[in-house]
Amino acid sequence: MTMPLDGIRVVDLTMVWAGPFGARMLGDYGAEVIKVESPRQWDLLRSLGLIPRTEARWYNKSAYFNHNNRDKYALALDLNDPRGKDVLLQLCAVSDILVENFRTDVMDNLGLTYEAVRAVNPRIIYISMPGHGKTGPEKDYVAYGSNVEQLAGLVSLSGYESDEPMKTGFSYGDPMAGTALVGAVATAMRQRSLTGEGMYLELAQRENLTMFVGEYLVDYSMNRQARPPIGNRHPTFAPHNRYQCAGEDRWVTIACETGAQFAALCAVIGQPQLAADPRFATNAGRKANEAELDTFIETWTRTRGHYEVMHLLQRAGVPTGAVLTTPELLADPHLRSRGAWVEHTHPDAGTWEMEAPPWKLSRTPGHIRMPAPGFGEHNSYVLRDLLRLPEERIAELYAAGITADDPDESLHR
Amino acid sequence: MPQPLSGLRVLELGTFVSAPYCGKLFAGYGAEVIKVEPPGGDISRVHGPFKDGVPNPETSALFLYLNTGKRSVELDVRAPAGREAFLRLVEKSDVVIENFLPRDMRALRLTYDALKAVNPRVVLISVTTFGQDGPYADYLSNNLIAFAMGGQMFITGTQEGGPVKNGGYQADYQGGLNAFSAGMLAVLAAERDGLGQHVDVSIQQCMAPLLEATIPYYTYLGRWAGLRRGNHMASFIGIYPCADGHLGIHIMPRNWKPFTDVMGRPDLFDDPRFVTQADRAQHNDDLMAEFYAWAAGETKHDIYQRAGTGRAPIAFVHTMDDLLTSAQLNFRGFLQEIEHPVAGTATYPGPPWWIGPDAWRHGRAPLLGEHTEPILREVAGLGAADVARLGSGVPA
Repeated sequence: MTMPLDGIRVVDLTMVWAGPFGARMLGDYGAEVIKVESPRQWDLLRSLGLIPRTEARWYNKSAYFNHNNRDKYALALDLNDPRGKDVLLQLCAVSDILVENFRTDVMDNLGLTYEAVRAVNPRIIYISMPGHGKTGPEKDYVAYGSNVEQLAGLVSLSGYESDEPMKTGFSYGDPMAGTALVGAVATAMRQRSLTGEGMYLELAQRENLTMFVGEYLVDYSMNRQARPPIGNRHPTFAPHNRYQCAGEDRWVTIACETGAQFAALCAVIGQPQLAADPRFATNAGRKANEAELDTFIETWTRTRGHYEVMHLLQRAGVPTGAVLTTPELLADPHLRSRGAWVEHTHPDAGTWEMEAPPWKLSRTPGHIRMPAPGFGEHNSYVLRDLLRLPEERIAELYAAGITADDPDESLHR
Repeated sequence: MPQPLSGLRVLELGTFVSAPYCGKLFAGYGAEVIKVEPPGGDISRVHGPFKDGVPNPETSALFLYLNTGKRSVELDVRAPAGREAFLRLVEKSDVVIENFLPRDMRALRLTYDALKAVNPRVVLISVTTFGQDGPYADYLSNNLIAFAMGGQMFITGTQEGGPVKNGGYQADYQGGLNAFSAGMLAVLAAERDGLGQHVDVSIQQCMAPLLEATIPYYTYLGRWAGLRRGNHMASFIGIYPCADGHLGIHIMPRNWKPFTDVMGRPDLFDDPRFVTQADRAQHNDDLMAEFYAWAAGETKHDIYQRAGTGRAPIAFVHTMDDLLTSAQLNFRGFLQEIEHPVAGTATYPGPPWWIGPDAWRHGRAPLLGEHTEPILREVAGLGAADVARLGSGVPA
């Protein structure tokens, strides 16, 4: 029983969220992922852990970093120095995949273009994850987390009914690009197995997310009609909304798609006559009178807990889901039962719970095999064991500050 | 150059969005995708929005988009002969994608074990809100329910307005993308070892860990703010109305100088209230008032271009019209016109990632049952009489 990416080596030059998260999943499912950070420019997530700077090796204790970088090795290497770049090319020569999400001009300026990497390894799959892509009039425009969903058209479709556009609650484009990275790597590996050759692959985050609103684009191109935000409602089904429950800021969602589901809902909320009411007998009628319907439903939900409403209605055959908070996600019996959260120990950070690999592959499951690496933790493994560099060359890399076992943390305080 | 997934045959027993999006990605990158539709077709065919607003199972934008490049077989797998024909197709396939409740697949006797019995190499990709096991596995769900149970809804919207769903079918799309990535790992393993497996994707489980730093801060530090922040994570990360739309700004510490330059407000850069990100957070309301006043006087295309040149993180909220006319997307060939015999010409985005000019092909969505006969004859190996008896799945 092996993992799907056993024997695949990945050079991970990515920083922050999208790239590190995606590369971590490659590690979860068996790849040997080597994360490269500069002694003077580590992954920003090390700084965003809310750890007091007075603690020893505080930069290894950032949970934000440690969740997104487990199952990786870490090499400290300054790519701005030609000797660092040479080491990276040696690493590329024995790797299958390189992935980067620098500003669009950085890899070119470092002399690490696809052509340069291909020259040392024609089988390598070289992946860039830019915001806009590496071609086109906007390729150099800055686009961070929340900008991606704006550019992808999603924000224009989101929001309360007939209200202004609404952002998502997080930098949505990032984890979607990270999730896509696994599919992109696998697609590229399939192509390599057909042709024997590596390739350049570009995952533009903006384009990846635009795919998630494709039906709106097709619609608009056919009909030239804008579709303003409709909140929690559905274009055709009703009732389809979020309802307040007992407790502070607690909510439940209910979505009926059939008459039978609606009748079951009416029975559970003690209003069986509604199902026969001519105003609500058809879906079209329910849609036309949905505001009134919502009042009946919310009057009932307000007096009950959101989990309670969900279980009562689900037992009767009504699609219902509690609006879960973060603490509730961690405690949710279903996610618990599926092993979604696992206890985990890191030598510097201690023991806590983090997410399991997300997908269950029955024959080749993923695992958390290694805690996230401390800064430069695997310098010796990579430089000595993997690349077999002579000791004097390794000493030179250390002496010149091209590699280091400890970062220059003064730059990150 | 062969397409990356050429030679793979995929059966999609999928409805609506999640499984069809997964199948669309397989088809786009070169797999032969056979969509098995129930009599009357995938429910996305009756959803719309329709061309010219006129309901027609061949002109629903949702169906047209999610089923590009596939072939359609109309087959009632609930009927014994239909199920038998389906299993004949499974024998000849590498991948099966489905998004039914586990209890429905059991009722159809199309569990992984049943598929494995006819084809041990087959990869079964199941994508549902709750996955294959656990106490909610057979709970009814749709995009709204999944969005709530995955934790993304609670953090979306304003504190006063209450949780709100994102536009379209975001939970379902996340499910489809996760199903593709997970399923492709199993395809690689099958091509290596000659054995298939069951890939279990729970949309809730995929979504729950993705809330930026929220999960790590809560599980490691015990911190959780529990707030919905509407359109502003802070004054410097958020959305502001402009003269002809909305701008989005996302300022990291290093962008403050270029941002104030593009704004034409060097005085803000020099203002002692706004020197560091912490200062800017402390004087959040003052800064937000400055940004509201500034944005109201800008137009979206003009400021976007100036920000691009000046390397300031300012985007604008793209409408569908803005996407269709985007210089960037058009330059990159990301928008392609596809002709459909009933719906006519429309514009489709793709690919999600680029692997060279020939790796992705769109193709149009199939008509309902367009390929029933050739696939049942040539792939399933049924005789003409058997195909006729199945009656193209048309309901009596």
